Amino acid sequence: MASLPKRIIKETERLVSDPVPGITAEPHDDNLRYFSVTIEGPEGSPYEHGIFDLELFLPDDYPMESPKVRFLTKIYHPNIDRLGRICLDVLKTNWSPALQIRTVLLSIQALLASPNPNDPLANDVAEDWIKNETGAIATAKEWTQKYAQAKE
Amino acid sequence: MKVQIKNVNGVFAWGWQIPKHDQKVKKDHNNSIVSGSDVDHQEQNSDDEDDEEDFCGICRASFIRACPNCKFPSDGCPIVIGKCKHNFHVHCIFEWLETEASRGLCPMCRQVFELRKGVVINDLHYVTFKELILKRQKEQNEFEATAEDDEALARMIAAQEGNNGDVPVDDILDQDMVVR
Repeated sequence: MASLPKRIIKETERLVSDPVPGITAEPHDDNLRYFSVTIEGPEGSPYEHGIFDLELFLPDDYPMESPKVRFLTKIYHPNIDRLGRICLDVLKTNWSPALQIRTVLLSIQALLASPNPNDPLANDVAEDWIKNETGAIATAKEWTQKYAQAKE
Repeated sequence: MKVQIKNVNGVFAWGWQIPKHDQKVKKDHNNSIVSGSDVDHQEQNSDDEDDEEDFCGICRASFIRACPNCKFPSDGCPIVIGKCKHNFHVHCIFEWLETEASRGLCPMCRQVFELRKGVVINDLHYVTFKELILKRQKEQNEFEATAEDDEALARMIAAQEGNNGDVPVDDILDQDMVVR
């Protein structure tokens, strides 16, 4: 394997020494471009008290190409589909090499705080969210309780 | 006679002379030598990762170091000064602007990236950058013109396949892009 670019080493060190509140990201020993991530559900959102597992991978072209991120924990959210894929501009068309792992994870945390059913990835969830917001939020809370709890 | 070296004192250091904010750059300045006081200033900031002026916003290495693909800094791995006051290693920003995804925009402020005029270290790269940006802008205009057609096409495919809404139009659009 080619040596790890300095930028990735620096980012990893900072993620450990100065972590973002409510977010953890740890690289795997056998592949330092592959991270196990957890994000706490933001306070006041339907995901509050939930801990969500994600995987993050830095492609060879990073930072010219965005990190690949996916939810592993099941989540009821209009911009996250049932495979855990995330609809977020900075992961696709609005990626910039000035962004980092930490800023991307912060954006995902913000997406949990403000779901956007008008730009859906999970069409059925978005429809539910628009037609019956109270019901959708209740389902999101229920899923959080059921699937997004810390492992003992 | 034996000579034992007990101590070595460096008497000079180098750095890029990066114009700060609206300060005008004089053409007759030697761009690769700075006075001792500027060096002190750089050293003070060397731990601050977010100091945009002393670090390349792409590779995050200090400008007195080379980009990740070069061994030696300075002439072999020069920097460029953006019109938007964002500076990068030539190699870093060029690699970014060469990707179609960059749309020719500055990674820091998302304005169209142009080299600042009247800066000696930019002179060598002026034409190459201008051509590259023009290419990106042309692509962007073409993309916008065809985006609407693509969406109409995706809806047509969805309708033909009796799509019940399980596959978002975006997915079909993605596939379409791959084919092209």
